[in-house]
Amino acid sequence: MPYALFPGCIARNMYPSIEKSTQMVFRELGLELVEVKFTCCPAPGVIRSYDFDSWLVIAARNLAAAEEKGADLITICNGCYGTLEAAHRHLSKHPECVVMVNERLSAIGMSYRSKSKVVHFVDVVDSMLPQIASKVKVELGLKVAIHYGCHYLKPSCESGRNVESPEALERIVGTLGCESVDFPEKLSCCGAGGGVWSGDEKVSLGILARKMRFIKESGADCVLDICPFCHLQLDQGQKRLKNRYEVPVLHLNQLIGLSFGIKDKVLGVHTHMVSTRDIAKKAKRARKDAEAEA
Amino acid sequence: MNRTLGQELKEFDLTKCVQCGKCTASCTSGRDSNLRTRRLVFLVKSGRDVSSDKDLWACTTCYTCQERCPKGVKVTDAIIRIRNSSARAGNRPSIHLTAIRSLLESSDGFPITPDVSKIRSMIGLPIAPVDVAHDEAERERFRKLVSALAISGMAKEG
Repeated sequence: MPYALFPGCIARNMYPSIEKSTQMVFRELGLELVEVKFTCCPAPGVIRSYDFDSWLVIAARNLAAAEEKGADLITICNGCYGTLEAAHRHLSKHPECVVMVNERLSAIGMSYRSKSKVVHFVDVVDSMLPQIASKVKVELGLKVAIHYGCHYLKPSCESGRNVESPEALERIVGTLGCESVDFPEKLSCCGAGGGVWSGDEKVSLGILARKMRFIKESGADCVLDICPFCHLQLDQGQKRLKNRYEVPVLHLNQLIGLSFGIKDKVLGVHTHMVSTRDIAKKAKRARKDAEAEA
Repeated sequence: MNRTLGQELKEFDLTKCVQCGKCTASCTSGRDSNLRTRRLVFLVKSGRDVSSDKDLWACTTCYTCQERCPKGVKVTDAIIRIRNSSARAGNRPSIHLTAIRSLLESSDGFPITPDVSKIRSMIGLPIAPVDVAHDEAERERFRKLVSALAISGMAKEG
């Protein structure tokens, strides 16, 4: 089954460099993609907290849109994954909810039939490591502070993942020729979820500040995320903290794109709030070294 | 489905809570906020009304408490559903209502701005993303869908 890319609001409307990097990387990897018009997933933190059924109906609309094109959904955001996968799972266990969402969807001529799966792109990348390795043109050799975020891993009773010592991103980072550095709070939240980013800036930035201090102390060249909302918090949020950490932030598809030899300005990595110049310089040097060797 | 708090208690196993406090000790938000998960579960279990408790909204839904609960209480899922009751009772932080109205109107939680349109164009993406927000007919269908949902009523009432 082909994939319908679900970029989510933030990758489309705030960090288009993540959408661009994703499109380029997925094309390089030969993923079959079909275009589907989606809405907001909808954002789990606020919408699900206000009214579960409204959240379920809007999510089912997106699932049904992918079904119409015969595609599985591939997400590049923990929030979208948290919504779409959880909604899909909830509907698979609650037939009465399927009746409810289909009553709503019928008003606009749509229906949910549970035909499309929801996958997080990290799992797809993790299943393609030999192909990834063969496409790495420049080994960046970066020290990377991995930030898993929350909703790729949790809740584990549903995801079945090892939430206290996950390994997928460490494997991927190693395949790209980079090194994962350990630090306290590695698996903690970025502070943006649950409506806290918009609702309580003090709490949201307090959580981020603690995490950023440990990331800085780890000596990492960059922090790596798999979610545009975490990315927004790590990149823009850093600029709102009292201490200026200035640690560049990369979404995994941006790191893969750079490792595939794609220039930072083509990927759009230079449009972040925290400067990525040092990463770009390293990438340029590594590209030149690779060309000289060839 | 109109669930009552009693059903919620059962669905998320809150009655199994032994008040060990592992949830509060694990809480990411609790170090920076007044959210005390153990207390919240205790109050709900005791049948107290927590709907106006502002700390409910300090949870980032990181799920660490739920992962670590030795009794398998679905703490985070319960907090989300308790928030539903709270929002139904009229406790709706205004900043969230602004975001909800924007979503219901535009179909995007984070609508595009002119500055980002420029960045899209600069890095070779179509200025307007391919989505419902930029397709007038699809957007109308979305508005029709959401107009019948409870969340639209909440957004209207404020």
